[in-house]
Amino acid sequence: MEDNTARTYGNHIVQYVPEYSFCAGCTSCEVVCTLVHDGLVSPSYNRIFVDRDNRSMIHTVLSCQQCSDHPCFDKCPKKGQAMKIDENNIVWIDEEYCVGCGLCAKACVFTPSRINMVRSADKSKRKAKKCDMCRTRPEGPACVQWCPVRCLGTSENSVATPLGPQEKPMPKEAK
Amino acid sequence: MENRLYGYAGKIARINLTDKTVTHIPITKYVPKYIGGRSVANRIFWEEVKPGTKAFDPDNKLIYMTGPTTATGIPTGGRTVFTGISPNSYPEQYCWSGIGGWFGAELKFAGYDGFILEGKASEPTYIYIEDDRIEFLSAAPLWGMLVHPTQKKLEEIHGRGVKSIVIGPAGENLMRNASITTSNDNVAAKSGFGAVFGSKNLKAITVRGTGAIYPADIPKVFELRLKMGEPYMRPSPIIHEQTHGMDQNTIPVEGGWLRGQVACSHGCNQHCCRLMMNMKSAFSDERINQVEKCVGIFAYGFQQDCSWTPIMSFETEKNHFLPCKMLSCEMPEIDVSDPYVKELFDKVPGDTVNYWKPDFDKGSVMMDMCNEYGIDKWDVIVWYMTWFSMAKKEGLLDELDFGMEADVENEEFVKYFLDMITYRKGKYGPIFAEGMARAIRTLGKEKFGDTIYKGRFSQVIPGKRLDIPVSLETAWGHSYHWQGRGFEGSIPKPGWLATSLELMTSTRDCQTVEHHHQKYEEYLKFKDDPCHSPVLVEGVVMNQNKGELKDSVTSCEWQSPDLFWPDMEAEAFTAATGIHMTQQELDEAAERSRLLFRAILIRNFGRDREMEVNAIFPTMQYPDPWGETVSWEDWNDLVDLYYNRRGWDRKTGWPTRETYEKYGLSDVADELEALGKLP
Repeated sequence: MEDNTARTYGNHIVQYVPEYSFCAGCTSCEVVCTLVHDGLVSPSYNRIFVDRDNRSMIHTVLSCQQCSDHPCFDKCPKKGQAMKIDENNIVWIDEEYCVGCGLCAKACVFTPSRINMVRSADKSKRKAKKCDMCRTRPEGPACVQWCPVRCLGTSENSVATPLGPQEKPMPKEAK
Repeated sequence: MENRLYGYAGKIARINLTDKTVTHIPITKYVPKYIGGRSVANRIFWEEVKPGTKAFDPDNKLIYMTGPTTATGIPTGGRTVFTGISPNSYPEQYCWSGIGGWFGAELKFAGYDGFILEGKASEPTYIYIEDDRIEFLSAAPLWGMLVHPTQKKLEEIHGRGVKSIVIGPAGENLMRNASITTSNDNVAAKSGFGAVFGSKNLKAITVRGTGAIYPADIPKVFELRLKMGEPYMRPSPIIHEQTHGMDQNTIPVEGGWLRGQVACSHGCNQHCCRLMMNMKSAFSDERINQVEKCVGIFAYGFQQDCSWTPIMSFETEKNHFLPCKMLSCEMPEIDVSDPYVKELFDKVPGDTVNYWKPDFDKGSVMMDMCNEYGIDKWDVIVWYMTWFSMAKKEGLLDELDFGMEADVENEEFVKYFLDMITYRKGKYGPIFAEGMARAIRTLGKEKFGDTIYKGRFSQVIPGKRLDIPVSLETAWGHSYHWQGRGFEGSIPKPGWLATSLELMTSTRDCQTVEHHHQKYEEYLKFKDDPCHSPVLVEGVVMNQNKGELKDSVTSCEWQSPDLFWPDMEAEAFTAATGIHMTQQELDEAAERSRLLFRAILIRNFGRDREMEVNAIFPTMQYPDPWGETVSWEDWNDLVDLYYNRRGWDRKTGWPTRETYEKYGLSDVADELEALGKLP
């Protein structure tokens, strides 16, 4: 796993510690993400990911950390067109120009990659899907708005202590 | 784009394990007439499974179906259903079993609304589905593995993102109450379909889907997400609990325990299941997490039966809420302006039964073994273990040598016994692996089933001893549930008459999908003479039809029925599919599904009035906590009312031709007439 401790991040989605709210594993965040962006539900389209653990039943929410140095943007062969950076330093995908090459997803410094890829026999449908913090939604990120247990927030407006980006939300044993 | 199918994935896979072939059936062959889920499965079973087929025959078909709301973001749509001939029913009959988790949604992403499993693999096999590709793979490396290691191994082989349904050793060894397990410890357990998997040499099905499901009305989906079940929309922290259980079963836990709440199915807005963290394992020193639902609470201590509060069954507009909120401890505040508030919350204490003392670690071990072996917890907690407790106290075990002292207070015996029945060890392992109904008959029902346990005492009439048999058997090879005696028996007579009527016309404990709900004002109308009340019968029909819809649209037992939002399911169906369906039209579809279920029972399993009345009536001759039973005359009067309401012949219990035709099933009527099974 990459050492990203020195990396700096922009405003991004955070999962709160379980002492504040425990992820129910309902995947509502994945579902509403694709509903508001794409008008469908699909694991190929969501830009936020519930890393499910069948044994512990403790689930970790993974999302784009909005790296300040945006390596995904740098690798895009059509950067400026298919990948753009907005006034808040959020890298977003303009799907009209995205050719679905997948280089941005490969450039993501996190494992698994926080950029999803729609794969299709129809080349015109191959697109990258990356969290843009719902930049055009007045209500803000849909995943935060619709999380039934409020275990998600944004890093700039956290109401509780967030987990680190790779930290498992396992609580300490009761003693 | 205009021809897009909304809600549904588009096809059903016919998976033949004998010749390893896959063919496709367009879902439009069955929908919207048969909605989806259990309703479609009923039609398929009617068309394809002949009378005389047994549960473990290769010709038994296990049908798995999602609903049109599955994977659309509509809450509770992640519930799905299996149907087929159940080895756990006594006698074997057509049955169903619901299951949550993420598997159903993932299957739809792969392009399938469901599948039909038929035939039998020649060697241990698992099925891997990745979009259009369905492979039959050797399960030799998996056979014999416990449930969670099997799930983990499949993720190692196919990647962490796959979703699986698996069986454990109990299913492999054809234990009749073996479960099928998916994520978050969700199981299809009641019907013993895990053993049908085993009989087909099928260990697991693993799926990865990359496609999409399109709900027709996305603004409506969001509206439903806010309204259905009044979602919590507040933080749900992990709680450090100091005690476990309730009433006389309350147990202080040294050091406390950690409780989290998890959702049961994909995209739901609720978190009904309790996650118990850092618990004792049956298999290693490593601490484990496990999910607890209502019956699991009694694994830890069972000195008093579950108490009952009228609000659980009879509701007012001012006071009604999802029952699951009791498990997540999120019940809304009581509206004291309700004129019936006192009656609604007047708790009825459960009978004192003294089955076993609270033991937190032993309860955890019992749960863990059920989870890992893949056994229906319900049967273990409510039936096997209570039988051992009662039979021992009545001196019935003296002549049975189990190889160690039969003591349900002893964790080692619990482990020993569950191991014995899972692997069919010794003299009694094969007997009890057949399920309690069959085991008791092998041992001798009169003595080992019907002997009265003298340790049951009412708390409604303090000190009054009440008869109950040592085997808590009710109809169809299942154990009592919300039926006035046995487990969760504190519901009064009008309530248990309704649940008994629901059970009588079913093939399994149906209270997991048809918990009886009715308006309190209606209850007041029938409480004094329930056996002669069309209002009670109307409530039974409504609950049964809603049960069909829950497993067809789909929704769940905890979200439906909402008595004060009766068209909730119709709104959900229309939002998912874009096909406008009124509540009345959806109710008719539910009636059609119910009629098909009835027709299957009549054609394939000889169901008639005599059979079902004789199955249910004896179960109501043990007193309820108030000492009440029902007379033969009164019960038959109630059955008459019910048959009349359904359009079934009172003498035979068979639906009339007019009834079949009313719901578009004239072909079913024709076939039954040819068999001499139309009244």
